[in-house]
Amino acid sequence: MNARRVLAIALKTLRSLRHDKRTAGFLVFMPLFMIAIFGYTFGGEIENVDVVVVNLDVGSANGSVADMIIGDLASRVTLRLTALSSPDEAVEAVRLTDAWAAIYFGPEFTEQVEEGIAVSALGLFAVPSVVELHLDASNPNIAQTVVTELQASIQVVLVEHYDMNPPVAVVEDRVYGEGAEFIDFFAPGVMGLAAMMVTFMLSIISFVRERSTGTLDRLLTTPVTEGEIVGGYAMAFGIVALIQSTVILVAAMLLFKVTVEGSALLALLTIFLLGVGSQGLGFLLSSIAKNEFQAVQFIPLILFPSILLAGVFWPLEAVPDILRPVSNFIPLTYAVDGCRSIMVRGWGAGDVWPQLAVLAGFAAATLMLSAYSLKKRG
Amino acid sequence: MNDRSSDLKGVRLDSQEDAGRHVVRTRGISKAFGAIEALVDLDLDIPKGCVYGIIGPNGSGKTTTIRILNGLLRASSGQAWLLGEAVPVSESIHRIGYMPQEMAIYSDLTAVENLELFAGMYSMRRERFEERADYLLDMIDLKDRGGSLVSELSGGMKHRLSLACALVHDPELVFLDEPTVGVDPELRNGFWEHFSRLKAEGKTIVLTTHYMDEAVRCDMVGMMRLGRMIAEDTPEELMASTGALNLEEAFLQRSRRVEQ
Ligand SMILES: Nc1ncnc2c1ncn2[C@@H]1O[C@H](COP(=O)(O)OP(=O)(O)O)[C@@H](O)[C@H]1O
Ligand SMILES: [Mg+2]
Repeated sequence: MNARRVLAIALKTLRSLRHDKRTAGFLVFMPLFMIAIFGYTFGGEIENVDVVVVNLDVGSANGSVADMIIGDLASRVTLRLTALSSPDEAVEAVRLTDAWAAIYFGPEFTEQVEEGIAVSALGLFAVPSVVELHLDASNPNIAQTVVTELQASIQVVLVEHYDMNPPVAVVEDRVYGEGAEFIDFFAPGVMGLAAMMVTFMLSIISFVRERSTGTLDRLLTTPVTEGEIVGGYAMAFGIVALIQSTVILVAAMLLFKVTVEGSALLALLTIFLLGVGSQGLGFLLSSIAKNEFQAVQFIPLILFPSILLAGVFWPLEAVPDILRPVSNFIPLTYAVDGCRSIMVRGWGAGDVWPQLAVLAGFAAATLMLSAYSLKKRG
Repeated sequence: MNDRSSDLKGVRLDSQEDAGRHVVRTRGISKAFGAIEALVDLDLDIPKGCVYGIIGPNGSGKTTTIRILNGLLRASSGQAWLLGEAVPVSESIHRIGYMPQEMAIYSDLTAVENLELFAGMYSMRRERFEERADYLLDMIDLKDRGGSLVSELSGGMKHRLSLACALVHDPELVFLDEPTVGVDPELRNGFWEHFSRLKAEGKTIVLTTHYMDEAVRCDMVGMMRLGRMIAEDTPEELMASTGALNLEEAFLQRSRRVEQ
């Protein structure tokens, strides 16, 4: 290995990226765009869900339980309530999709609640009082949110006004992730995904071009070795991955107040290893592709499983058992897991070394195979 | 030089003197791509300081020959030596230049950056490179376009830059695969002036072409057809021996003779 030749290859690779203004811009803005879009969409809570309410409850001497529940719901921003006067009208509003849900309290609601409480106090079986909830559950997330909100408000009212404390209380102690929000879980995933996508795409396209334009052959007739070419490219794309993950990290910290519990440098090292390995993979696949068009076909083949199965958006626990081995085979899985442990759990190198070792192994293997693939001549 | 290579087909290639004289030497090299015999039993002896032209129609095996000599293809059989070293060369690689048939320069780098990359591959020092880049850009008449991206250069300019990249490390032996294809006549003249200058410096040039008028300017011409060398001599001799008025006619006559 001649370090100067490795540097010369790395320099030329970075220079060609810099000259290609659109690609250079893409490299910086794509990750920014990704973290912004994902951060604002996934990071945001569900708010202002339109719900119509029909309250015919006449109440009792203590007031109306329905009023209290509605009052509690209205104190939060999740649901946007509109009062209607008849149940039919309310159901029609859901049918016309003017509202996601209709909540209906009958005239005897408070009476039934108080009766139920009294009966339970005597140790007898009480018939539960009923709130009708008509849902447009075509969006499960929204439907679930409405149900949860309604139940939470009922709970609050019973505890505050009727001293109905549940017999079991959960004591929560957050071992990791105190104060963590969804975006904290998410940012490491985006860093890994962006670095992998870009280094893989750039390297597969660059190498198909090196092959088809004859520049690779020309290089190979100079004293440069296969290993030096591979090393130079790895260095260049590793730097690209570093720049990108730094952009994402800084954006996540500034825009979304993401905090890094562990060492940011260690997180960047994790992404660097992933970037080097992904570029090696692109390099290898470029030897199978005959032209740029064929190369492009490899991109979704590699990206889709990674996006879906590496735990970027959903936890690995959400991956069905039969696909779990695939997850374990995807390098991004280890990068995201490692990066998350560093950034959210505050783990150090001593804790994430298995992930780092897998990524280093992936990088070493793809680079060595790439160098070997260049050596094979007809 | 290994032992096997020093005694092939009864030709002894032992003395340094001999190797020094014939900078390119091949014995019985053949190359088949599946059923296609791209190159059949080629023997070459190209002396130092010679401008050697390989001529022949498309598909006659010119590029295959050059690629085997440069180590980009392995011959199916036979052996080749460059500057006395068995192919693929390692020691002598610094002393050899190659301009591929396709342009093979980086279109997303500037002209100077292309030169700098190849200079870097030969571990050239900074000052030496700057001197050399000045000289070469002047030679290919691209002095004021050194900072332009290659993608913004005309076809002819790219061609000239590709030549300069092959010469950046001042090689003793250069292989130029169709260096003048698609180059306008005026520019082609310019190229030939450079070749003469290189020859005067004692460099050896092996080039391929299918322009017969160009072949006349070579010291030696090898005529190839369907992977075989059908005639090899000076252009004058080739014309005289066939009684042809030009090389084109000489080539056709030789071809006919082979067919019979
Ligand atoms: N990589 C290859 N695979 C298959 N056939 C090839 C390959 N390279 C060259 N050939 C064939 O070998 C023959 C000689 O080609 P080439 O040396 O390129 O000719 P020339 O340079 O004289 O035009 C042609 O028939 C060509 O189709
Ligand atoms: Mg050719």
